[in-house]
Amino acid sequence: MFSKSSWRSILLSTAALLTLGITSQSAHADIPDENYQTILSHLLTSVVPPKLDAFHTATNDLAETMDDFCSDPDQSELKDAQTAFHEAMDIWQELQPWRMGPMVANGRDQHIEYWPDKHGTAARQFRKLMFDKPAAYTDPEKLAGASAALQGFPALEEVLFDDKHAEQMVAANEDGIFLCQYGAAIAINLGTLSGELQADWPEFAKAMRNAGPESMDYPTAKFAATDLYRALHEGLLIISSQKLARPLGDNAQGARASRAESELSERSLRNIEHNLIGLFAIYDGKWGDVGQEGTGLAALIDSSLLDRSFRLNWKTVSDAVADLPPSVSELYAQPDGYAALAGIKEQIDFLTTLVENDVGGNTQLGGGFNALDGD
Amino acid sequence: MKHQRRGFLKLIGVGGALTLLPTSITRAASPPAIEDRAVYIAASAGNNGDYYVSAFNASGGILYEQPLPGRGHDIGLRPNHVDVAAVERRPGLYGLILDRHTGNVRAKLHCPENRRFYGHAVYSHDGRYLYITENDFDQARGVVSVWDAQDGYRRVAEFNSYGTGPHELHLMPDGEHLVIANGGLHTHPDQDGRTPLNISSMEPNLSIIDRRTGKLIYQAALKHDWHKLSIRHLDVTANGMIAAGFQYQGDITDQVPLVGIWHPGGDIRPIEAPDTVQVRMRQYCGSVRFDTSGQVFAISCPRGGLVTFWDAQSNDFLTHIAAPDGCGLAATNRTGEFVGTSGLGNSWRMDAIRRKRVELPDDSHKSLQWDNHLRRMNT
Repeated sequence: MFSKSSWRSILLSTAALLTLGITSQSAHADIPDENYQTILSHLLTSVVPPKLDAFHTATNDLAETMDDFCSDPDQSELKDAQTAFHEAMDIWQELQPWRMGPMVANGRDQHIEYWPDKHGTAARQFRKLMFDKPAAYTDPEKLAGASAALQGFPALEEVLFDDKHAEQMVAANEDGIFLCQYGAAIAINLGTLSGELQADWPEFAKAMRNAGPESMDYPTAKFAATDLYRALHEGLLIISSQKLARPLGDNAQGARASRAESELSERSLRNIEHNLIGLFAIYDGKWGDVGQEGTGLAALIDSSLLDRSFRLNWKTVSDAVADLPPSVSELYAQPDGYAALAGIKEQIDFLTTLVENDVGGNTQLGGGFNALDGD
Repeated sequence: MKHQRRGFLKLIGVGGALTLLPTSITRAASPPAIEDRAVYIAASAGNNGDYYVSAFNASGGILYEQPLPGRGHDIGLRPNHVDVAAVERRPGLYGLILDRHTGNVRAKLHCPENRRFYGHAVYSHDGRYLYITENDFDQARGVVSVWDAQDGYRRVAEFNSYGTGPHELHLMPDGEHLVIANGGLHTHPDQDGRTPLNISSMEPNLSIIDRRTGKLIYQAALKHDWHKLSIRHLDVTANGMIAAGFQYQGDITDQVPLVGIWHPGGDIRPIEAPDTVQVRMRQYCGSVRFDTSGQVFAISCPRGGLVTFWDAQSNDFLTHIAAPDGCGLAATNRTGEFVGTSGLGNSWRMDAIRRKRVELPDDSHKSLQWDNHLRRMNT
């Protein structure tokens, strides 16, 4: 993990860049709309679909693994199911920040992962579920019409990673059999949701790609590309204000690891690591082995120095997150754990500032007279 | 918790060509050939910290630009008179009475030292009194000041707004009552006058007061879970139905309604758009405006760059039209039609029934950034 002083020195280097005059392009000529069009086309039709395919595959694998586990429940099969959960969750966490179109249609993102659960809805409903054990919740189709809090990753996490539930399933007692069938239904439902997402995406991508004066949704490619910029910006805000601020609380005394996302499966910081991968794809245009470097929003930035600086800053922060243990509770168990998490939040906030000033300004996507300063 | 938005998927307007409207509204829609002879007026800004009240015709041609000492907000129209009132946005100090035909200054209003204007003003039906929302910042309470237009715009009274951070206000159809959107946010000029100081404890409400006595007649608030929904803008139909737009002060991903309907005496009924639109509203509504028939209302969402349209009878979401940085809205003389303006300089004629957006043809209006609100003046 790198020190606070080292990332602050990077901030200074960016300030130095700005002093040298490598500033916002907003004072320059308008970026041609076709430049935005190229980025939209690349990201939405070449980069995202393979990731949606991978997510669908991972959720189907999860469903198969759950089925195997329930057929012959033992510790080894449980471990396989937990591994399949993590693999599907890794891809979901990369997709999660792309909050647009089919991702949010019909509450899909919330059905996939209902979080944050500010009122403890899931825990309350889960207790009632275990008391009643209604058969409908073991039927994937009926489960799809149930509460969002009981049909996505957090519900499956409760089934697979709670020690008591794991013991019950391996013991195959009455509660365990219900839990296993319920977990299997959740996994199948996740496969259905990811399949719907995969199927709905092309039409949405087409609408964005075909931006123009006749479109009532996207009158210009620039306007459509604003959704990409917003996803990048809001993704960082969500990491800071929810995924980090909630477990941090107001101070060290008020810190609670249990308020972090996916803490039961001990992957709250691993989630952020994957969020950053998905978010950086918006900027870079390359996502794992898909796409090409420099074909995302970065293609609109006409200063190679500023681009390099942004990449360096992003890498510094994402490396710092990757160096942390996978969960907040594990980090808090370390002597300087709280300070380390607070430091990560500061770094994410710093990245947010860079996105607002450097990316928003140079891509001409971050402005708006009424949008930025309304009343 | 069952996802609540599913019940609102009742339109084909998202991505479709035509909105499904009640047949009564569709029949009432007039052909687009009729010339709108109205003049539109709004606060505006140039590119160098210069601010104006500007008027343009139905084609978008600028008629005049009257410089302002600071950024304006909304314009109050004095019935059957040349006066219009431009009040500085919060924390405002100036108010100007302008000639609606020329923009010339006819009178000046000075905010008391311990008050700040909040950008909105409305006249009584007879045009005699002007009502302005203000912040009594030391007491953290909202007030409505009363100015006598027949007595040189003398400040003659001040009423409690029955809330904090009052913003838009309207006269009710009976002409005897004012409805006030108390946004709930406390601000103080010593702390820039705009930064909210009480988000955790804010209590927005809609209040109706007697315009002559200041007595509270009705008041309604949202449930406590939604206390961070700042109720900021509203419009009223001829039958007294109120539509309100909210601005959320909580998390980006919180699922909260952004629009409410209020029949005074009852509760505020929250309504939502389908998820794909609701997310694009970005937790923030700008202007609220009923169309000329009172059957459709529009709510702009400048952060999301779209205008949403709603059925005033069923309260269902109808459709949306993209409007980058669009905020100002005024009803034209046609059912379901509005003129909208944007901070990017665009002005459009938007037809909620045909889901159509047409740029006003005269480019002279594009030289300005159009501020949050737009008013239509009959000629």
